[in-house]
Amino acid sequence: MKDFIALKLLDRFKGIFKKMGIDYHVMRRIVQIKLTMDGRRVPTIMNSSSKRKKNEENKDKNLFKTSLLIYFFIGIVFLPFILMGKNYIFQMSFVFGILIFLLMTTLISDFSSVFLDIRDKNIIFSKPVKNITLSGAKFIHILIYMISITFSLSALGLIASLIRHGVLFFLIFLIEIIFIDIFVVVLSALIYLFILRFFDGEKLKDIINYVQIILTITITVGYQFIGRIFNIVGYNVVYVPKWWQYFIIPMWFSAPFELINNGSTKIYFVILTALAIVIPIIAIIIYIKLLPTFEKNLQKLNNNYSQNKNQNYKFTNGISNLICSTKVEKTFFRFCLDMMKNERNFKLKVYPSLGFSIVLPFIFLFSYIRDEGFSTMASSKLYFTIYFCALMLPSVIMMIKYSEKYKGAWIYKVAPLAETSDIYKGTFKALIVKLILPIYFLECMIFIAIFGIRIIPDLILIFLIMLIYVVVCFSLFKKALPFSEAYGTGGQGEGMIIIPMMIILGVMALIHFFVTTIQYGVFIYIIIALLVNIFAWKKAFKIVL
Amino acid sequence: MDFQEPIIEIKDLSMDYGGKVVLNNINLKVGKGEIIGYIGPNGAGKSTTVKIMLGLVNRYGGQVRILGKDISDGNVEYKRKIGYVPEVAEIYDNLSAKEYLTFVGELYGLGEEEIDNKAKKLMRMFEIGEVYNSRMTSYSKGMRQKVLIISSLLHNPDILFFDEPLSGLDANSVIVVKEILKQLALQGKTIFYSSHIMEVVEKISNRIVLIKNGRIVADGTFEQLKEKSKEGSLEEIFNNLTGFNNHKEIAEQFVAVVQGGQ
Repeated sequence: MKDFIALKLLDRFKGIFKKMGIDYHVMRRIVQIKLTMDGRRVPTIMNSSSKRKKNEENKDKNLFKTSLLIYFFIGIVFLPFILMGKNYIFQMSFVFGILIFLLMTTLISDFSSVFLDIRDKNIIFSKPVKNITLSGAKFIHILIYMISITFSLSALGLIASLIRHGVLFFLIFLIEIIFIDIFVVVLSALIYLFILRFFDGEKLKDIINYVQIILTITITVGYQFIGRIFNIVGYNVVYVPKWWQYFIIPMWFSAPFELINNGSTKIYFVILTALAIVIPIIAIIIYIKLLPTFEKNLQKLNNNYSQNKNQNYKFTNGISNLICSTKVEKTFFRFCLDMMKNERNFKLKVYPSLGFSIVLPFIFLFSYIRDEGFSTMASSKLYFTIYFCALMLPSVIMMIKYSEKYKGAWIYKVAPLAETSDIYKGTFKALIVKLILPIYFLECMIFIAIFGIRIIPDLILIFLIMLIYVVVCFSLFKKALPFSEAYGTGGQGEGMIIIPMMIILGVMALIHFFVTTIQYGVFIYIIIALLVNIFAWKKAFKIVL
Repeated sequence: MDFQEPIIEIKDLSMDYGGKVVLNNINLKVGKGEIIGYIGPNGAGKSTTVKIMLGLVNRYGGQVRILGKDISDGNVEYKRKIGYVPEVAEIYDNLSAKEYLTFVGELYGLGEEEIDNKAKKLMRMFEIGEVYNSRMTSYSKGMRQKVLIISSLLHNPDILFFDEPLSGLDANSVIVVKEILKQLALQGKTIFYSSHIMEVVEKISNRIVLIKNGRIVADGTFEQLKEKSKEGSLEEIFNNLTGFNNHKEIAEQFVAVVQGGQ
């Protein structure tokens, strides 16, 4: 097994862990095992044995490295704030604010599983391993990831700070980053503790889902506003201390720069700096004190007694009777709804793209309003931005074939189903009713409010085009039955196909755009789209099992 | 009793999950070298008892002493003497058997080389030596079970908790494992064996404890139980003691429903 560099670094702090009562050797071993397993996240079950050999060679390079590269480029955001000037308390507050937000959200959405892993419990706690040792291992495991993410994120900023503000600034920045990392991990652990204290595991998992959605939306919207913040902040704002600023965490961390680099000795900077040092330490102490309670409450995750509430079958039955023509279709409509509700991984992967499709149409509207004003927009053709809503379709359709419980898919082969039309029709209808219609309907309402009822025919047309788009996506993707493949086996190659898919959507939107210049053009297009739909939904899904 | 000190001593053990009583005043003393067949219907509380003894479940009522020490004091050292095969085969299956077993061994404080040697030999004896270095994702259920059994014995424990240890094993391996259990007991190891397969329990255990709804309803040797309930096989004793005598009617109704009747 590989010995990781991070662990060798960790060895230097052996003494601290021992003092805390942690069995260092065991903790190190647990972290090592975890890191090894992370490198192998891609399951190899689907591959033939000859292929597996090859896979095992390059397995230890995981997808994590690619994401580090992405974080590196996100780090560009920090550059303007660092290069701007010497108004450190403002500049660095923004830097730390963004950094803490990004770290916190990635931690909660990507590494919650590590904190909340209870498979550990049976494997490791049946051995003579102390509570605090395992908790320490979890903490280090997460911290290793967080530190690599943080350094990718802030690499550009660190270099820039070294060049612009000198070595001392750079060093403070560096140390604070590590401090912030530990603080963020402890803080999220405390948040979990709090949630688990009052709610059960299911609720916590729901909350994690929501965080993901908020994360994507905030990043998208946030980028639109960064430019504007710039104008507001300006170069020569004089800092006026206010009492509430003692509660703004990023300000704590930016105060040392004023103190040391600008040579300021103002009392409020001293207090802020003290907070930056004292509060994280207190948080760590509380965390260690509460660890036993945390592990105990983690047991709640095991109690998945959450019974499905007596659901309203009448409603789903009514809809399925309305839009499904055969019995098998109805069955899969219902099946797909049930699976989507319970398949957490599906939600985790799909909801962010739903977030996008809610936000994207409005982003362009906002920047237009800023430049041109509201009244010119209302009479324009900018309602075409609602096409962005359809961008969620490829990823939704791509994800529907995956499941954590993909092994259950043998049932398709055993059941007397000759071909797949009804399976797919039922599934996609469920997708449309459950995910697409609600969002599209909401956006339509808002758009009608903005642009007036004149756009209703267009909106109907766009919906029909989205239905055609479902078929197009399906035909171009690798075909597999719904919920029948393991996550991560395909995926990678398919990501790129999204780009041609977007172009196809663009072409359909463009035709629509030209058609609006012809009289009755939209109505003719609607009829054509309707016919295409009837034909496509009849033919496209037929695959012999 | 002819042993100096009980290996396991359970006093008034009670447990409830959110108001639902799982264990109700369990009292049990287990001596050295005993093979306890721990049986009971689904949901009777067998696995919970074992998990409490392993410290996987806390917040129970009563007292559990293992090797003379109360386990609730947070000291985990007693686990060094315990080997555990869980009912649900949770395992880090994206590791190879070698990686997994050395890891587990080290958690028990053994040296890497020592474990490696031992594990390799044991794997070979279970006829899965050739996959020692392959990832366990490719293993069959029986192979994983064998790895679990090996992992529970690496550190030569004095007490064994085996929860359905034979599940997924083929008939030949079953014979081997049963024989291993017998010989381990002869070496003075205490074995706590839970299973639903009554024939096996009947054969290997020298004492049978039956629980139902979280209470012990029978405790004794097979012969004693036979006498008490006047039934021939453990299966029948089990049915008798758990108050289950309408299997015929249930089966009849079941088949009737399958065939579309009422």
